[in-house]
Amino acid sequence: MRASYQWLKEFVDINEDPRQVGTRLTQVGLALEGLETGAGDSIFDLDVATNRPDCLSHLGIAREVSAIYGSELRKPKFELREKTKESKSVFSISIADPDLCGRYCGRYIAGVKIGPSPDWLKARLEALGQRSINNVADATNYVMLELGQPLHAFDADTLEGHQIIVRRAELDETLTTLDGVERRLDPSTLLIADANRGVAIAGVMGGAETEISSGTTNVLLESANFDPLSIRKTSRAVGLTTEASYRFERGCDVEMARYACDRAAALIQQLAGGEIYHGVIDVYPRERKPIALGLRGGRIEGFLGAPVEDAIVERIFKSLGFKIERASDCWTIEAPSHRVDIGCEEDLLEEIARHHGYDKFPLTLPSWKGFGAALPREAEERRLRNILSSLGYTEICTYSFSDEQMERRFRPDIAPVKLQNPMSEDESVLRTSLVPGMIETIRWNQNRGNRDLRLYELSKVYGPHGERRALILGAAGALHAPSVHETERKFGFYDLKGDVEEILTAFDGRTETDTYGLPNYYHRGRVARFGDLALFGELHPEFTEAFKIRHRVYAAEIDVDRLLGVESRKQVQPICRFPAVRRDFSLLLEKGTQYGAVHRMILEAGIPELVRVEPFDRMEAGPFPEKKYSLSISVIYQSTERTLTDAEVESFDQKVLQLLEQRLGAQLRR
Amino acid sequence: MSSKGIDQLGSIEQQFDRESSAVEDLRALEDLRNRYLSRKSGLLTAQLQNLRSIPASEKAEFGRVANELKTKIEDSLSDLQQRISDKEKDAALERERLDITLPGNRRRIGRRHPLTIVRKEIEDIFIAMGYTVEDGPEIETTYYNFDALNIPAGHPARDPRDTFFVSDDMVLRTHTSPVQVRTMEKIQPPVRIICPGRVYRRDAADPTHSPMFHQIECLVIDEGVTFADLKGTLDRFHKQFFGEKTKTRLRPSFFPFVEPGAEVDVSCNFCEGSGCRVCKLTGWIELLGAGMVHPNLYGYVHYDREKYTGFAFGGGIDRYAMSKYDINDLQLFFQNDMRFLGQF
Repeated sequence: MRASYQWLKEFVDINEDPRQVGTRLTQVGLALEGLETGAGDSIFDLDVATNRPDCLSHLGIAREVSAIYGSELRKPKFELREKTKESKSVFSISIADPDLCGRYCGRYIAGVKIGPSPDWLKARLEALGQRSINNVADATNYVMLELGQPLHAFDADTLEGHQIIVRRAELDETLTTLDGVERRLDPSTLLIADANRGVAIAGVMGGAETEISSGTTNVLLESANFDPLSIRKTSRAVGLTTEASYRFERGCDVEMARYACDRAAALIQQLAGGEIYHGVIDVYPRERKPIALGLRGGRIEGFLGAPVEDAIVERIFKSLGFKIERASDCWTIEAPSHRVDIGCEEDLLEEIARHHGYDKFPLTLPSWKGFGAALPREAEERRLRNILSSLGYTEICTYSFSDEQMERRFRPDIAPVKLQNPMSEDESVLRTSLVPGMIETIRWNQNRGNRDLRLYELSKVYGPHGERRALILGAAGALHAPSVHETERKFGFYDLKGDVEEILTAFDGRTETDTYGLPNYYHRGRVARFGDLALFGELHPEFTEAFKIRHRVYAAEIDVDRLLGVESRKQVQPICRFPAVRRDFSLLLEKGTQYGAVHRMILEAGIPELVRVEPFDRMEAGPFPEKKYSLSISVIYQSTERTLTDAEVESFDQKVLQLLEQRLGAQLRR
Repeated sequence: MSSKGIDQLGSIEQQFDRESSAVEDLRALEDLRNRYLSRKSGLLTAQLQNLRSIPASEKAEFGRVANELKTKIEDSLSDLQQRISDKEKDAALERERLDITLPGNRRRIGRRHPLTIVRKEIEDIFIAMGYTVEDGPEIETTYYNFDALNIPAGHPARDPRDTFFVSDDMVLRTHTSPVQVRTMEKIQPPVRIICPGRVYRRDAADPTHSPMFHQIECLVIDEGVTFADLKGTLDRFHKQFFGEKTKTRLRPSFFPFVEPGAEVDVSCNFCEGSGCRVCKLTGWIELLGAGMVHPNLYGYVHYDREKYTGFAFGGGIDRYAMSKYDINDLQLFFQNDMRFLGQF
C-alpha cells in the first residue's frame, strides 16, 4: 500500500519526519518497504499484512500513527448538501443473496458535468500509482484510498428500470467489463444487475455499458460490502485483481459503506457539480453485531512474558478505536468494525505487544524437564557421511522434480507421481530414482571442466506407494589426476566396488557378489549387486550418451535405510597371539572361471584355521595354453590356540589344491 | 735424561697427532688404527713388544708412558669414529633432501553439501537445548498442510498458482508445519521439536527463489510458554549459529497459524549491523517468520487452550546457508558445480 505523508497529516498531527514515521510503522507491523521523497511530499510503500485490510487506506494508517504518537485522529471533513428530492423516489436497490452482499448503499446525483479532475487530485492519485480518468471516477478512487471503501459510479441513465439488483450470475451469462473484455460467468459470481442484465462483477470491476462517459449527467454511486471469500473466488475465476477486489477479499468495514457513500457524493458534487438527492438507499439486511472479548489482566504477563501497565493497555486500545471497560481483574473489549481480524484474546494480546513494542519484552528461555533427541539412525547417518567424505565423495543436492520420459526410461516398472500443475513439462513428475540427477550433475560438471568426479546424493525418491530415502554414488574421470608426484589413474569398476565394500562393511552389511535383478541402464558386463543392499557398476554407454557424456560413468545405488538399519552388535575379536601363515599359489584356470568360484571352493574346504583368501595377481597370457589364465592367490591360516606346524599347513594346502583341481580343474603352476 | 725408548714413544705420539688430524672417513680411520695398534705391525704394539730390551731402571717409566699413549690413541680413535659416523649419517640424510616447497600429494576428501552442513549445525544447536528432531512426508494431505494450520479452503495461501497439487487433496508440502500437527496428534505437551526438510512452492527459479527449498521449523508447547521465551530462544539460537555478537529483532507480522506473529531479522553477519552489500546496507537480514501458536490450532489436536501456550518459528535452511557463507544465488545449491561444492 502506497501512502502519502501529507495526506496522513490531514488526519493526524505528525512531528517526526517521514523516515522516522516509517521506522515506527514498521515496529507496529506496517513494514516500510520503500520511501520516495519528492516535491512537497513523501510516499511510503508499506507492506500491509493480509489480515489488516483496515490499513489499506490513509485513514487506517493514520489511526496507527495516532496510536503510536498518542495524537488525535481526525476524520475527513466534508459538507453534504442534499436536495429535498428523495433518492428512493428515483431508484430502487435490492439484494437477492445477502450471504454474499452484506450491505449496499447507493446515492443518486443528478446533473453532474463530467470533466478532467483538478490538478491537486490528479497529482495525488498519480503519486499513489493511480491513473486519472475523469472527475467522477477519480472521486470514487480518491475516497477508496482515503477510507478503504471501494466505490463504483454508474451512469444512472444506462441502468434499465432504474434499479439495482445484487444477484448471482446465471450460467453462461455474459458481461463486458470496463477493460473491454467480454466475460462468460456462472452462478458462483456475484453480479450487480439492473432490471435486465448484469452491469458489474460485484467487488471486482464495473461493466463497459454503464460506465461514466463524457456525456453522463446522472450518477448512481455504489458503496457496498461483499463476502471476502466470494470476491476472492470470482477474482481468481475471471483472472482479474483490482484495487476493489484486493480490499474486498481481505474484508472491508461494513460500517464504513454509508459514510464513504456520503463522502464520495460530496466530493463528486465538489468536483462535478450536480444535485445530491436526499438520503442514502441503504440495504443492510443483517446488521453487524459487535463482539465483546474478555482480556484477563494476568494473561498479559502469562502470555507475553512481562506485565504491561494498565494505563498503557487502556491507552493502546482506546487509540485504536476499541471500546474498553474494566471489571475487577478483567477487561471487556469491543473491537471496532474495521478490525475484521480480531476474534480472540490472543488477538488483543498482539495489539498490546505491537503497540507497547516487541522490543520491550525480555529474552527468556522456556524451562522444562526432559531431553532432546536426533532423528532415529542419525548417528549412523553421520558415520555414513563421514565414510563417504573420506572415500572422496562430495555430496550433491538435486531437484525432486523430473521428466516423465526420463523416469520411465530408467524405471519402467514404476508409475511416477505426477503433478497436476507442474512448472514445466520436464519437471512434471517426482523422481523415482536418483540416477538421472546424478548423470545430469556429472554432465553439468564435465561441461565446465570439472572432469574427475566422485559424488553422492542422500535424498528421497517417490513412488505411488510413498517416499523413501535413497543413496547414490557417482564417479567419472580419474581417481588421481596426474601430478608431479603420480601419473594419472582412471577410476574403474573395482574402485567403485571397493568403495561400496568399504561402506557396507562399516555397517556389517553383506558383500557377497550377486547377479540377480541387474537393470539395463548398466553395462551388461560390469554390474553386480550385494544382495538387496547395493547395486553398482558402470553405466550403459547408450544411457550416458543420451546426456552427451562420452566418458565412462560409474554409479552405485544403496538402500540406505536398510543399510543403516542393519542390526549390529559389534563385538571386538581378540588379537590372535599366534602367527599367521601365508601361502601363495599360482593357479592355471580355464578362462571364464570366475574368482568367486575359486574363493567359494576354498571356503568349502572347511578348514577352521583358514582366515583369509586374497588374490594378488592375474595373467591372461603367458607360458601356458591360450585357453587358460593364471590366478595367484594367498591363503592365510591361523589358529587362535597354537602355532601351526609345517605338517598341518602342508595338509591344508593339499586339501585346498585337491578340491580346486577336482572341482575347477585348477592346476598349480610350478 | 729420558731414554731412547721414551723418546721414540714421543715421536710416535707426534706422528699420530699429525696423521689423525688428516683422517676424513672410516676407511682412513681403520688404516690409522692398524698403523698404530695392529697386533702384528702396529707402531705402538711394536714398542710394547720391545719392553724386554728396555733397561730395568726405565721399564716402569716406559711402561707407564706407553700405556698412557695407548689409552690416548684409543680414545682419540673412538672420538674420530663417532665424528666420522655422525658426518656420514648427515651426508646420507642430505642426499635424501626433497624440495619441500612442492605441493603436497593430496588425497581429496569429499565435501558435505552446504545445506547438509547448515542443517546439521542447526539441529545440533536445538538438540543441545533439549529439542527433538521430527520429520514427515513431503507429499502431504491438504488437511495437514492447510486446514489444520488455520488455512481453510478458499484461503489465498492455498492458491494452485503457489502450491503443487498431486491430487485434489494431496500437495507437495509448502512448509514443514504439517510435521508439527502430526507430532501434536501423537503426543501431549510438553512439545519441543524442530522439523527440518524439503518443501515446495510454485516459484520460478531465480537467485532468490526456487520451486524446491529447505525449511526448518520449531514448535514449543507447554504450560507457561511466553512471547519472551520465543524472543530468548531465537536470540540464543542465532548467537549459537552466527556468533555471540549477533542480535535478533522481531517485527509484528501476520501468519495464519500464529498470534501474535513476527518477522525475525538477524544483524548482518558480515558487517555486524553497520550495513554492507550482503544486507543491502540495512544491517539486518530477514530470516524467519515466528509467533505464538494460534489457539485455533489446539482445537485440531485436542490440546487444552486454556492450559497450554506455545511458540513456533520457521525459516529457510537455504537462507541461513546464504547468510552464513555470503552466497548470493540460491541456484548454486542445486547446480552442484564442484567449483562451488569444493569450497565447503
